Amino acid sequence: MLVINQLKAAYGQVQVLHGIELTIPKGQVVTLIGSNGAGKTTTMRAISGMLKPTGGSITLGGKNITGLPAHRIARIGLAHSPEGRRVFPTQSVRDNLLLGAFTRLTFGGKRARGDIQGDLDRALDIFPRLRERQFQQAGTLSGGEQQMLAMARALMLNPDVLLLDEPSMGLAPILVEEVFHIIGRLKAQGMTMLLVEQFASAALAVADYGYVLENGRIAVHGPAEQLRNDPKVRAAYLGIVQH
Amino acid sequence: MDILLQLLMSGVALGMIYAVIAFGYQSTFATSGTLNFGQGEALMLGAMVGLSLSGDIMGGPYVNYWLMVPLVLLFGALQGALVEFVGVRPAIKTKSEFGWIMSTIALGIIFRNVAENVWGRDDLPFPSPLPTTPIHLFGANVLPMELMVVVGAILMMALVEFFNRRSIYGKAVVATSSDRDAAGLMGINTGLVITFSYALSSMSAAFAGVLIAPITLTGASMGAVLGLKAFAVAIIGGLTSGLGVIVGGLLLGVAETTTGFYVSTGYKDVPGLVLLLLVLAIKPSGLFGKTTIKKV
Repeated sequence: MLVINQLKAAYGQVQVLHGIELTIPKGQVVTLIGSNGAGKTTTMRAISGMLKPTGGSITLGGKNITGLPAHRIARIGLAHSPEGRRVFPTQSVRDNLLLGAFTRLTFGGKRARGDIQGDLDRALDIFPRLRERQFQQAGTLSGGEQQMLAMARALMLNPDVLLLDEPSMGLAPILVEEVFHIIGRLKAQGMTMLLVEQFASAALAVADYGYVLENGRIAVHGPAEQLRNDPKVRAAYLGIVQH
Repeated sequence: MDILLQLLMSGVALGMIYAVIAFGYQSTFATSGTLNFGQGEALMLGAMVGLSLSGDIMGGPYVNYWLMVPLVLLFGALQGALVEFVGVRPAIKTKSEFGWIMSTIALGIIFRNVAENVWGRDDLPFPSPLPTTPIHLFGANVLPMELMVVVGAILMMALVEFFNRRSIYGKAVVATSSDRDAAGLMGINTGLVITFSYALSSMSAAFAGVLIAPITLTGASMGAVLGLKAFAVAIIGGLTSGLGVIVGGLLLGVAETTTGFYVSTGYKDVPGLVLLLLVLAIKPSGLFGKTTIKKV
């Protein structure tokens, strides 16, 4: 579904990604783990077009999307729930969700319209807290609720691939559990996902396949089960790299 | 008392003109953090094009005032889109912090020069579409055109607000204003939203131009002072607050008419600008400016 080949990216003069190879097959959950500053978020940003890659290629469902602006990548069918939630604070929860469906609601959007009202209802079923607060300004939600909204908003695109960047960041333990439960549900429904998580063990538990990122390079990759038992990866969970 | 009421009413009409132009400043600032410093010239061009269409200076009148207004709005929108495309887009693309300031000022000067060559340097009268005999309202004399200024200004701002709240495209504009990157992830072409906001900005200025032209004179230099004062209004009211520009506009309008009468017309611009300095010193985000709350 999503194939990333020799991806390079930089912030100004600082090279962050030095040629990353990732494959996310249809219907699978792939997780990207690594310590702070390894380049996980940068990888996500380069895939979704928030950051223009400096090299390599990205194909989504056979289409080359390398270097396209974010809005065109979204129209092809990739949703990205970004780090830091990034909900639209002055607009209502419901409006945030409708904006998630922007590509389905508009002429230039190109995504099939489908049943938007039904999807809105389904999103509010998955996240009942949002149903209670659907007419409230998104900026007034708690951090956890905003995270739910960011995920629900990404789902409203009805994406072929969903990128989730640190969906559990800053959440209370009980909410972290809920977030992983929801990721499991989405997986059961056949959603293709790329997951970046600080809780690497939980991420590897839900994922089919995992990649370990170190200093902008893929250090190890393999089936999630295998990575969970790899002593070197266990060290990398903690952000300690032993040579 | 009657005189004060009279002054207040004239001040309100003038203030609403400022508010409409300042509204234009807000719309581009919200989406892109940039301003069109040629707003005054956009107003002037709107008035001149309006006069050419419904006055007799270019062999017309071709259409009456009411049919002319939508044509001028369309012209204003195209002119604003042109300014964005030529002057602002390159600056945003190269992340130049000040490029757009110079380029919008430069485009404004070019537009004024063109206008001077096309329509001459003299001020021209703009035929009023409404009777020019004042009507009595609460003991004050008000020109019907002044009333139309107020109604037209409120109507325009209400329509834009309605668009922003109710249509998915309006919501996309608001989303672009609050987080451009996140809006892009929704599939919103934020570059196009910025072009649209420039079109809207110049369109409101052109609208202000055809509203005010019948009560003043029309000429190539009519926009400069209005554009500057409306900028002061936008700063006083707050560049991020819709209500702010109305209050700021009314404050400046009334301050001008009352000072002009009670003190001296020579000083009529002073209180408004003093207010501007005070606001900048005490509450730089403007009287109604919001500081966004970010939850971490």
